[in-house]
Amino acid sequence: MAVLALGMAVILFSRQLPYHSDYGPGPGFLPMWIGVVLVICSLIVTVQELRAENKGESFFQPRTRMAVKVLVVIAIAFLLFPLLGFSVGFGLFICATMRLMGGHRWVTCGVAAIVTAVGIHYLFGHWLDIPLPTGLVGW
Amino acid sequence: MDLFHNLYNGFAVALTFQNIMYCSFGVFFGQIIGVLPGIGAPTAIALLLPLTFSIDPTSAIIMFAGIYYGVAYGGTITSVLINVPGESSTVMTCLDGYQMALQGRAGAALSVAAIGSWIAGTASVVLLMAFAPALAKFALRFGPAEFFALTMMAFGLLTVFGEENPFKVIISTMLGLLLSTIGLDVVSGMPRFAFGVPQLLGGFDFIVIICGMFGVTEVFNSIENPEDEGEVLKGKLRLRDMFLTWEDWVASRWAIFRGSVIGFFVGMIPAGGITTASFIAYLAEKRYSKHPERFGKGAIEGVAAPESANNAASISGFAPLLALGIPGSATTAVMLAGFMMWGIRPGPLLFMQHANLVWGLIASMYVGNFLLLLMNIFMIPVFVAMLRVPYSIMMGFIVVFATVGAFSVNNNLFDVWMMLGFALMAYAMIKLKYPLVPLILALVLGKLSENSLRQALMLSGGSMSIFFTHPISAFFMGMAFLAYLTPVLRWYLKRRQVKAAQA
Repeated sequence: MAVLALGMAVILFSRQLPYHSDYGPGPGFLPMWIGVVLVICSLIVTVQELRAENKGESFFQPRTRMAVKVLVVIAIAFLLFPLLGFSVGFGLFICATMRLMGGHRWVTCGVAAIVTAVGIHYLFGHWLDIPLPTGLVGW
Repeated sequence: MDLFHNLYNGFAVALTFQNIMYCSFGVFFGQIIGVLPGIGAPTAIALLLPLTFSIDPTSAIIMFAGIYYGVAYGGTITSVLINVPGESSTVMTCLDGYQMALQGRAGAALSVAAIGSWIAGTASVVLLMAFAPALAKFALRFGPAEFFALTMMAFGLLTVFGEENPFKVIISTMLGLLLSTIGLDVVSGMPRFAFGVPQLLGGFDFIVIICGMFGVTEVFNSIENPEDEGEVLKGKLRLRDMFLTWEDWVASRWAIFRGSVIGFFVGMIPAGGITTASFIAYLAEKRYSKHPERFGKGAIEGVAAPESANNAASISGFAPLLALGIPGSATTAVMLAGFMMWGIRPGPLLFMQHANLVWGLIASMYVGNFLLLLMNIFMIPVFVAMLRVPYSIMMGFIVVFATVGAFSVNNNLFDVWMMLGFALMAYAMIKLKYPLVPLILALVLGKLSENSLRQALMLSGGSMSIFFTHPISAFFMGMAFLAYLTPVLRWYLKRRQVKAAQA
């Protein structure tokens, strides 16, 4: 926890550098002050975290793994969009998350996937007229 | 009378078939969102925002307002029946509401909440009609110095009302401001923090950030901390059980009245919000009561007061949003983003330029509150059934809506990845106990704050004294300083106490 706060302070420090050098007093004025306040506050928080006796909850909790798994599924789905398009991509995505999270049967997931794909295609693509990426599937 | 004329026009707008439909959908949807733990009003509105590109802004804002105050009703049901607050604004309701349910008086608890909410909501709309135009008229005199001071005060108050470490609140505010500076600088046209990435030149769209932070982050968060799935209390709720006895009325009438007044004024304070309102109302009621020992053991006043307050606050929160363009909570901040997306600038001029929108919205609140009263007396079982939707299905759809929302802003996949990035950032912030609301408020207000700061400094030739010599601005600045001082002072006092204890 404390290490992470320190890490954040370092990030904030490095982000703070360009404020001073790159810009004149006009557009750089507010960012510079943001930088200064950020650095002061992050230092205080870091000191507080270091001195705190109770370290609080750890960053990784038992169920964090599940969240990471879902994150990976989301990322895979996003990567597949240029290839599969939104409708098919999200159909597979719903299928995967239902299986992973809820442990539903494959049949249920499959049906949900098809319903989702068709639903997205008509709701967003037709009714709301959003030009969804279709990918190579073309639908 | 000007007021009645305006209200008449407002009802003409609100009572068109289309707007009644949007209003009913909004309150119904809000009620569902309120019942479901793990998804709140800002998330719901953020996810629906991109879908409103093509509909009339008046209808859209009527729908969103419906969601906002509908949520304040809906959270009650789970608080009373399963002791799990559906929303943070109904935490206080659990204390006495669940106890009442255990005593077999769930119907009475839900009913007093619904009626109290309705009275408070309606009273709050009346007060809003009186206050908001006056506030707008007053704000017409505001110059850049006043607006900057006002945003400073709003940011300052966040540190007072937040539960979190005040320094973390400030860091979160600063991160929001920083995000708002990305893109072309409005005054000089110079790119800032774009790092040569062309997509960053236009700045981040609010929608992308909001969809990530409230939609996808909420999913991660709920996966990690699943709500305890409480047992719904056995026994059917019959309509007969919903009726209140005469003693109930006598016990709760002043609680409803006080709750409404407290809720209205707390809701108007920037950063006050509906949760704070319900806390204050509950505590006030306990203090006023002749029998404070009954609180926490199923006192009907303990349900009536916070429930009335959260509703009154959800409506009065529109006063600063509409009249000043300053949102007081995450939900109203998301709505402000919506206004900007539709090309409408809330603020003092809104009451003149978009009178139909404002009065239509206000009139729709009467309609919406009435619909909610009916729903909460006759349709409780329907909403209880909603609780059976497994989260594994719901979360998938939250992600779908967030993604399509982020995509539809500019129709490109870059925004979708950005959204995921912001979701991860917000997830880390929640884990490290950094509040998200200041970031969102600062993000939405950032441009206004910076531009008014720089305009004011141009007017004064670079002298900071402009903020302190104008009386209104000086007042806001003074409030801001006080607000920033309170946590420091509190921290100092606490340290002294600790030291004294050690010595």
